[in-house]
Amino acid sequence: MSAGAAPAVHALWLCLHCHRLPLEVFAQLGGPAVCVAQQRVLSANLQAEEGGIVQGMRLAAALSLLPGLVVFERDVVREQETLHGLACWAGGFSPHVHVAGADELLVEIGGCLRLFGGLRPLCQRMQQEITGQGFDVRMALAPTPRAAQWLARAGQSGVCLDAGRLQEALAPLPVGVLGLSQAGYDTLAALGVSHLEGLFALPRAGLARRFGVELPTWLAQALGEVPDLRAPFVFPETFTQKLELPAKVSLAPMLMFAARRLLASLSGWLAVRASGVSECSLLLLHEDGISPTRLVLAFAEPTRELARMERVLRERLDRCALVADVVWLVLEAKTPVVMPGSTAGLFAQSAAQALGPVVERLRARLGKDAVHGLTVREDHRPEHASAVVAQGTQADLQTGPPRPFWLLSEPRAIAERKEGLYYKGRLRRVAGPERIESGWWCEHAQGAGEDVRRDYYVAVSEAGEWLWIFRDKAGWWLHGVFA
Amino acid sequence: MSAVLRSLDSLLQRPDVWRGDRLAATDVATSGFAVLNAELPGGGWPLGALTELLADAAGIGELSLLLPVLQGVAREAPVAVVGLPGCAQAPAWAARFSLTQLLFVEARREDIAWSVEQLLACGGLGAVLAWLPEKVDGKVLRRLQLAAEGRRSLAFLFRPTASARTASPAPLRVRLAGSREGLRLDILKRRGPPCGRSLLLKVERPLDPACAALRLGMDGDASAGGGARDTRNTRKRGLHVISGMPR
Repeated sequence: MSAGAAPAVHALWLCLHCHRLPLEVFAQLGGPAVCVAQQRVLSANLQAEEGGIVQGMRLAAALSLLPGLVVFERDVVREQETLHGLACWAGGFSPHVHVAGADELLVEIGGCLRLFGGLRPLCQRMQQEITGQGFDVRMALAPTPRAAQWLARAGQSGVCLDAGRLQEALAPLPVGVLGLSQAGYDTLAALGVSHLEGLFALPRAGLARRFGVELPTWLAQALGEVPDLRAPFVFPETFTQKLELPAKVSLAPMLMFAARRLLASLSGWLAVRASGVSECSLLLLHEDGISPTRLVLAFAEPTRELARMERVLRERLDRCALVADVVWLVLEAKTPVVMPGSTAGLFAQSAAQALGPVVERLRARLGKDAVHGLTVREDHRPEHASAVVAQGTQADLQTGPPRPFWLLSEPRAIAERKEGLYYKGRLRRVAGPERIESGWWCEHAQGAGEDVRRDYYVAVSEAGEWLWIFRDKAGWWLHGVFA
Repeated sequence: MSAVLRSLDSLLQRPDVWRGDRLAATDVATSGFAVLNAELPGGGWPLGALTELLADAAGIGELSLLLPVLQGVAREAPVAVVGLPGCAQAPAWAARFSLTQLLFVEARREDIAWSVEQLLACGGLGAVLAWLPEKVDGKVLRRLQLAAEGRRSLAFLFRPTASARTASPAPLRVRLAGSREGLRLDILKRRGPPCGRSLLLKVERPLDPACAALRLGMDGDASAGGGARDTRNTRKRGLHVISGMPR
């Protein structure tokens, strides 16, 4: 029982107690809502609690208090799936994740504090990410998993970092945190034990006789006297996660809230596998056999960064018009690629790294081809001399006649008068002609600049504009600008 | 009293304080033109602030004015070109830049300002060049200036001269006009005393106007004659002929 008998514990367990999980699985947005099982309130959201609804209340009573209440029937399978999704997400913090009971996650974070810059930054980030997914959790830290569970269930965000002071930290907790059967609680009440302090004072052998061996073992495990072996959460081999929406959604941006949960899971799952994705797809399933809408999220380079994936998804959803109401979301990541972990940089990150996310965001909003580089093509026809590529490639420097920085999208006719060419005043030709005659092999020569026979000149207008003009069978044309 | 003056002096030494009668000291990249550097606060184009270039005509050398500074910047960091008013010709850019360092963004009119804001805010670019639509809200410009602040990117915005009449948060506004002699610059706004004179710069042009007549196969101002049909005639005059074959 003494602290000295406890094994040297360096592990630090973080327990996430999702105390509203039965309701939160429905990814409900706003308004008072409750989840009921057997006509009794199992879980209520904040707004419902403010309206006076408490756990265990009859549904009829709850409805009479708040007639506008949204009621969901408990769905245990969905709770399980959601908890597994959260476990995947937690994989982004530590590979040691355990699912405990119906609504708790245990994460061993003692080994990864340094990676996240200490306990406080890690907890803040965790809290922020899980709140972003719409979960209200109670967090607790303790050197043993069971102590962390009990502290989390007690409600206050309990923190006990010192294994020697565990008993002191656990003593004031009510016995309700133990999770005993009703008969067990009745016996404890008969003994006059309302807090763990009273339990610690009782002899273990007597406890085993009254409550079975389980309770004394738990106490010993909580205090770190005996090992607490648990089956770790097994991360799935491939990532496909489904999420049923609580109501039909007709506007794409409203899907963001629900989809964020899926992305958070994916991000954690990728971290556990030391991988990243350069592409993943979100399927929006509709009713009535309408074929699903597929949104492909493409990234400039493999990533597993949640914020980056969210930004791309938000742009895609903002621009997506739904063909029908959406009832299910499915996130698939079929092609994870191994990605080395990131190390904190000593110097500022390179420009290319900073540029990747912004290029992605621009492409997501403007279209894939809107952000591009250039490359030189070996073709004399001006319209074919440059090609648009995803990333510009260096060309051999060619010396030749001058070329303008840009061409007009279509050649513009120039008026020809008695005294000469006229474009915003008289146009003076200063160099040329340069004959470009090429592309005769193009059979369908309707397209601009296919089969060309032109004489190009450099001309200067009275306003001092340097222009690239040409003459062909049809007359004089303005084609480019020496900006 | 002297203590007050001393503290005032130390306050005036701060780099972010500038007095109206002298040019402010800011982080800059040299423009490559000594005449222009002398008139710009800090001695060059400002980093981390908007520079508005107001011009109505295209082809007067508005981009060539920036070539010296952009070529220097592009050796270190990529340069983004947003809303170019035509199809970029790779040979012209390749002669002056490494094409790996150039990023072209084609955006709809209403998305140009948003794209520029994103690019400026990322901080990874050496320079952003943007041709803004004719009407831009003052609030939008304010956002762009905020996005540029604190970064080390050059930000050049090309706008029509009519926008000189409306206020802008850009600390430097220059009006450009073409002329036979070169590019004429009027500094409309700068952190410093008003610039009374207009500057005439010899920016890079496709060819030296003096030898233009020599390069021309015929009279400089010859009336339109010949043309693509009479190949025989023009060839006699030393025509530069390109006849392409498929490669």
